[in-house]
Amino acid sequence: MQLQDIFSNLMELLSYDATAPMIFSSGLFWFLFILFMPIYAVLKNRRWQMLVFVVAFSLYFYYKSSGLFFLLLVCTSLLDWGLSRLLVKLKSKGAKKACVAISIITSLSILGYFKYANFFLWNWNQMVEGNFQPLDIILPVGISFYTFQSISYIVDVYKCRVAPTRTWLEYLFFLSFFPALVAGPIVRADYFLPQVEQNSRPKREEIYLGFWMIILGIIKKAIIADYISQYNDLIFSSPTGYSGFESLMGVIGYTMQIYCDFSGYSDMAIGIALIMGFKLSPNFKFPYKSKNLTEFWRRWHISLSSWLRDYLYIPLGGNRKGTTRTYVNNFLTMLIGGLWHGAAWKFVFWGAMHGVGLAVHKATKPLLDKIPNIYPVKILSWTITIVYVSLLWVFFRAESWTDSWLIIKNIFTNFSVAHIAPFLEVRYVWCVMMAVIILSHAMPRRWYDKMGEMFVNSNWLIKTLIFIIVVQFVIQFMSEDVAPFIYFQF
Amino acid sequence: MKRGYLGLWSILVLTFLLFITASSFDSINICGLELKTSGMYDRLTQVDEVNVADDTVQIDNDDTFKPQPIDTTAQNILFIGDSMLEGLSPRLAAYAKENGHKMNTVIWYSSTSNVWGECDTLKTFIRRFKPTYVFICLGANELFVKDIAKKRDKYVKTILSQIGDIPYLWIGPPNWKEDTGINDLIATNAKPGCFFLSNGMHFDRAKDGAHPTRSSAVQWMDSVVRWMPENCAHPIRLNIPQEKTAKPQRVVVLQPKR
Repeated sequence: MQLQDIFSNLMELLSYDATAPMIFSSGLFWFLFILFMPIYAVLKNRRWQMLVFVVAFSLYFYYKSSGLFFLLLVCTSLLDWGLSRLLVKLKSKGAKKACVAISIITSLSILGYFKYANFFLWNWNQMVEGNFQPLDIILPVGISFYTFQSISYIVDVYKCRVAPTRTWLEYLFFLSFFPALVAGPIVRADYFLPQVEQNSRPKREEIYLGFWMIILGIIKKAIIADYISQYNDLIFSSPTGYSGFESLMGVIGYTMQIYCDFSGYSDMAIGIALIMGFKLSPNFKFPYKSKNLTEFWRRWHISLSSWLRDYLYIPLGGNRKGTTRTYVNNFLTMLIGGLWHGAAWKFVFWGAMHGVGLAVHKATKPLLDKIPNIYPVKILSWTITIVYVSLLWVFFRAESWTDSWLIIKNIFTNFSVAHIAPFLEVRYVWCVMMAVIILSHAMPRRWYDKMGEMFVNSNWLIKTLIFIIVVQFVIQFMSEDVAPFIYFQF
Repeated sequence: MKRGYLGLWSILVLTFLLFITASSFDSINICGLELKTSGMYDRLTQVDEVNVADDTVQIDNDDTFKPQPIDTTAQNILFIGDSMLEGLSPRLAAYAKENGHKMNTVIWYSSTSNVWGECDTLKTFIRRFKPTYVFICLGANELFVKDIAKKRDKYVKTILSQIGDIPYLWIGPPNWKEDTGINDLIATNAKPGCFFLSNGMHFDRAKDGAHPTRSSAVQWMDSVVRWMPENCAHPIRLNIPQEKTAKPQRVVVLQPKR
């Protein structure tokens, strides 16, 4: 082994690799963050130097995940910023609207090309019975997130909710801020830019609270979600290959997996931002505690649902144009929200069914409000909501429409209690993981706050030990196979 | 640096150094509990590039090896190994069905040569299923074990001694990067014509980056079968099946050893 080999391997690790985007739970990210932190700490009080440094790091972070597409981010930001500066100088309302339209159309065209071109071409070919050859398009990571940020910025400037940044650097900092760049939360300019302006140093408590959130995020994402996904993948890859009970477990498993995966990543993003002295708004608030769909969408992917509300639902007329129009607006918003998740009809269906659910809840609310809010009613409401949400996750996850129905059908037609005992015996680790996440989800918020407080106030050694144990758990479960159940169909 | 940052930075640096040091060991045993290591050290210090070929690699036995006549009798096949059998076993089962052989599969998830070599599980299944032919696919979980010849030689020998005189074929692991010697170790211990080297083949990998996809595993098994008539010490009748995959008569799943 020579130093030259180590250097060459390190260079390879630091180069763009399409198969290994940089994520917060990777060793490489933490290696870079260790290098990043002392420089950031020194530059934090020198605002401009800090901005340059963080932008450079963010662009590298994006390059590592998406290669040269980081230039697209730079160009988008330059155009948006230029238009936002122009917007405030213009007097004519029509010209201002034209500026906003240019910015939105450009952002949506870029998103449309990279994310939806093949989807629309495929559908067009289906209609005209053409011979479809998919275009060779690579989707830049996180483009959906930063496109929404860019749209909200230009609209906010137009509506005078936020002043345009004085410099391009500040706007690029906002758009490329690496903790939220590839998977959100979607950062809003009116909330974030004042913090950039203020540039206050984080308190010691905030730094360690951020660290605590990172640890929680790692547990959720890299330990629980990544482990339970292996079993869930087996179920969804072979819809009729398992018993009804196993399929049911797979569906419940995926319901928890998507929550742990996404909220865990959000927790890490929020934690890293907090360490850097920036507060990002929470993205998840125990969504599976919801007792109706309206509440669910106030707790699930909050940054997206509030974005859709403010920049789509309200501009469409919201609830100001009569009952029927409210339902239509709600439905359309959810439909587009579904499409935002991916270019496939299954996402459209998933969004549409949430739209239908929300409309039904809105329509029946006057009646529901008359029912006394007693425990049996609460339990029934919660059950209906979680079953509906979980069933829709099947359509979201399954490869095809047929697979979704096969899994659901299998649960109802191939169910036997005889499969429960062997399942528990063979899949005990999976069951323990599920029990942990279900119990932790049921815990009151104040318990989390208390735990966070205890962690922040604990001594250095305890913090180090907790972190080491969590990292070891990640390594321990990282390569662990999940055995297919004994009824696995070969 | 501010105190808060310094404290957190120290935690991160200490943890990072601890794990990178630990990764220079294969695993760490504390009070009987085996702690896995991260592989960071190997990633940084690896020297060889992955050798990826485009098609099946033909393994030449030594010059004295002569192709053997194909045994056309119906066999009772036992296929044992690690999770790689998920892909290989259904394809071999299709061959077995087509050619009138019986076949049983024992998958021991995350298993290695020492897992099989430390116990008499293989012997037990041989007694139970009474195979006339044994296929093994083992080694994927020990591609990067250091000093492997020293550490695992006795286990490979134990496995082969448990098989005894039953004809066998050991299918080597599907390397995704250069191994530290597992292939050499198996090749050295196996009889001539009883080891199929998979290293160098091109595989489409599943999401984990290690396991070949189901269709790639089918091609892998087909490559083994194509290799057998000219190179195997005991080739058996394996005509191309009509079905792509089939179910073995019995599949025994063993949980990872903790």
